[in-house]
Amino acid sequence: MSGLEVKTVEEEGLRVEVAAGLCESRDERLERVIRQHIERHKRRAAAADRAFTAATWAVAAVALGILAFIVITIFARGLGTALNPGFLFGKPQAIKEGGGIWPMVVSSFYLAALTVAMVVPVGVGAAVYMSEFAREGRVTRLVRLGADVLSSVPSVVFGIFGMVLFVVYLGLGYSLLAGALTLTLLNLPTVMRTSEEALRAVPVSYREASLALGASRWETVKRVVLPSAAPGITTGAVLAVGRIVGESAAVIYTVGIFVRKIPVSPLQPAAPMAAHIWHTYTEGALVSDWMRIANGEAAFLLLLVLALNLGARLLTRALAKKTGTVKGNE
Amino acid sequence: MQGIDREWIVRKTLFVMAMMAVLGVLLIVFFVAREAMPAFTQAGPANLFSSAWDPAGGRYGMLIFITGTLTTTVGGLLLGAPLAIGSALFLTQMAPRRVRSFFTRVVELLAGVPSIVLGWLGFTVMVPWIREATGSPGTGILAASIILAIMVLPTITAISKDALEAVPRSYLDASLAMGATRWQTVRRVLIPSAKPGLLVAVILGMGRAIGETMAVALVIGPATAYPTSLTSPTHTLTTKILMEMGESTGVQRSALFAMGLVLLLLSMALIVLVRAVTRERREAA
Repeated sequence: MSGLEVKTVEEEGLRVEVAAGLCESRDERLERVIRQHIERHKRRAAAADRAFTAATWAVAAVALGILAFIVITIFARGLGTALNPGFLFGKPQAIKEGGGIWPMVVSSFYLAALTVAMVVPVGVGAAVYMSEFAREGRVTRLVRLGADVLSSVPSVVFGIFGMVLFVVYLGLGYSLLAGALTLTLLNLPTVMRTSEEALRAVPVSYREASLALGASRWETVKRVVLPSAAPGITTGAVLAVGRIVGESAAVIYTVGIFVRKIPVSPLQPAAPMAAHIWHTYTEGALVSDWMRIANGEAAFLLLLVLALNLGARLLTRALAKKTGTVKGNE
Repeated sequence: MQGIDREWIVRKTLFVMAMMAVLGVLLIVFFVAREAMPAFTQAGPANLFSSAWDPAGGRYGMLIFITGTLTTTVGGLLLGAPLAIGSALFLTQMAPRRVRSFFTRVVELLAGVPSIVLGWLGFTVMVPWIREATGSPGTGILAASIILAIMVLPTITAISKDALEAVPRSYLDASLAMGATRWQTVRRVLIPSAKPGLLVAVILGMGRAIGETMAVALVIGPATAYPTSLTSPTHTLTTKILMEMGESTGVQRSALFAMGLVLLLLSMALIVLVRAVTRERREAA
């Protein structure tokens, strides 16, 4: 420990001056450098990690902000009008101010009811076939491909297709039925998928128990599988109503965009709210309060769709409790 | 005997219902192609795939609208995809349990917003903002891209979330156990493992953006001209079909169906692409 003695060590190209007792040895120094390097690396990694955490929370906040902005702005501009009975249940005006939207409200619900009446039986039937009867193979692959392609078809293409086949070729004219047939095809893939998921969530043991008791396959489906899958299927149907009510591009050239009278027969033209907003936008100048009408209608439409989405969830929970089925989803 | 017959009838009926999706696709392709035929025979492909749209002068070119569709789609994805994949990372990696189920609802509700409502919001609120900020009309590629970003957000988020959740927990645990931070694990382990699924999510989002009609129609302009800037009005395939189908006849109407056919082929190509990507993943696994 003679403090002032300085040695120079040279080894493997590394030159370190060592004052014995005061300075570190070559190994110590190396260790220190490496440790510093690791520390810096760790600090950087920690900083990057914090940045990542902050960024994901920020992204989530933006997504939430977008929804909040949409809902708040649309409601702020139109909910006052929408919840006014004179507007909601009022007669539309072609030239004068102060018109209501009652025929459009009826059109939307009428169209949704007709469509659901067709798409749910077909979609559930297809799902039953896929999950209970078909063996995985060429047919199921073809059906899945068909459903995938169908779900990718743009809604405006559904619209012009429906116009050619249902409105013109089959001679239905602009009508609720032509629109419902078009929307049945449009919604078929989603109804099929949600129904099939619901059916597949039913435990195999339920089916085995029924089959072991001597029930046929169809009896098993009818008495055991479908009742157990009902909550899931119902949720899918309610969500389909939301999509039907919100659909406009497929409706404009099949159902119509403006009516003065409430549609009675499915063969009559009608004007669902979503299509009527488009009409109000394009023909805006006809009535001076067109902005008020479209604002009110947009707010009511959004309110309806949000209620259907939330309602579907509450309904699932209630039905699941009642029938005692365990749903896979949360 | 009777029982067997009934089972047989039920089985066949259900089979027919399952085939409705396939029948639907065939009907759509057949009728759209049939209506598009006159445009191909009378105007010709060279005319249809040109830049000039002037029905009165016998010009039915759709390149302007294809350009509009592609630019708005790319714009929408550039804005929407990072946001959506970020949201999916938030959902699967960061969010505490309660926040996660709340945020899942938020995304579902966003998916439920009708496109006409979003378009109306764009027309009444967003376009005036852009107009004031830039001194332009406010409609055009930028406005449409923002709207499309919002439209593809729920789609991409939901599918990315599934892709990220499909990565085995043990991969992440192994990385974390070796001292990697969460971000290092996400970047080096999670994202590479989930890559095909994330790609599928973006492709399906792209399909959504290409086909979107109403939300774009209210903010795109419209104008039958190539976009010269982010805020110059133009048209997409869907908006052109929507706005002219009502009052067109003859070859012009047929040319609009030809655009519909292009849209159909584009969306089918994307489905083929998705299937190729998922098959690759299945084989790799």
